[in-house]
Amino acid sequence: MAGVGFRRWAQALTKSKGTGISGLLSGCRAASTPPKGSLPGPFPTTPEERAAAAKKYNIRVEDYEPYPDHGEGFGDYPKLPDRSQHERDPWYKWDHPDLRRNWGEPMHWDFDMYIRNRVDTSPSPVAWHSMCKQLFGFIGFMLFMFFLGEKFPSYQPVGPKQYPYNNLYLERGGDPEKAPEEVKNYEI
Amino acid sequence: MGAHLARRYITETDTEPDPARKFEFDPTYGFPERNEREMVATQEQLNLAQVPVEQRDYCAHHLLKLLKCKRDNWPNFLACKHEKHDWDYCEHQDYVMRMKEYERERRLQLRKKRIEAQAEAEAA
Repeated sequence: MAGVGFRRWAQALTKSKGTGISGLLSGCRAASTPPKGSLPGPFPTTPEERAAAAKKYNIRVEDYEPYPDHGEGFGDYPKLPDRSQHERDPWYKWDHPDLRRNWGEPMHWDFDMYIRNRVDTSPSPVAWHSMCKQLFGFIGFMLFMFFLGEKFPSYQPVGPKQYPYNNLYLERGGDPEKAPEEVKNYEI
Repeated sequence: MGAHLARRYITETDTEPDPARKFEFDPTYGFPERNEREMVATQEQLNLAQVPVEQRDYCAHHLLKLLKCKRDNWPNFLACKHEKHDWDYCEHQDYVMRMKEYERERRLQLRKKRIEAQAEAEAA
């Protein structure tokens, strides 16, 4: 694997257009000196500022919509729809398949929240109100039926079971000193 | 199967007996003589055998025979069919007696209602 990397570096060297050190470095650059105006800036007021901000964030001018300026500090960062990465096409060949995102695509402010391990804004398979009705309808029906079952219990048409020894007075913890209530059971 | 429920909740709500409540008629009413049920197993025997309270009914002597048979014949679990049948038959007879008691109560209630209706009809 290291051998492949070395070969690739050698190939890039021979193909590079620049001379000297820039050719050797083959396109990498430090993060300490970004080009001017590539970082987020203040809230855009003029149409030119809006156009520049849209270009900076790689969005069409007509699609670009900054967050309203209520003093929260969003600046010119674009307001993208609050849809999580779960809703993106799983079969399309994304540059980053796990994140379902292409290189250079504008990132949502809460992108780290909308990754596939976290918040999911996918629509429910059936409309929400329909699901609610089904669930609560079922629960309500069951509770109603249980209530009816308590009010009108079902039983067998038999008399109570007869036990000897005064309905098992002593066995059920009756006081041996006291005289139990006399219970006579007859044949029928 | 279930006719008593229809009677209890829909058609004859005032006469159909409620098994949760005590039956109101005297057990000897209507009988010239009535035999008491005979309990064969003694309390001491039941205590020694540690029979559960729910099983200490009028068939407990058959149960004691069955338990003895089972204990003596283990591991042959097919050995006590005769004793098991005796106990089951006794329990079945007990259940039939319960059904008859329920039916007796129902008929007495209906009779009472008939007598009352007749008395009212005569008074009116």
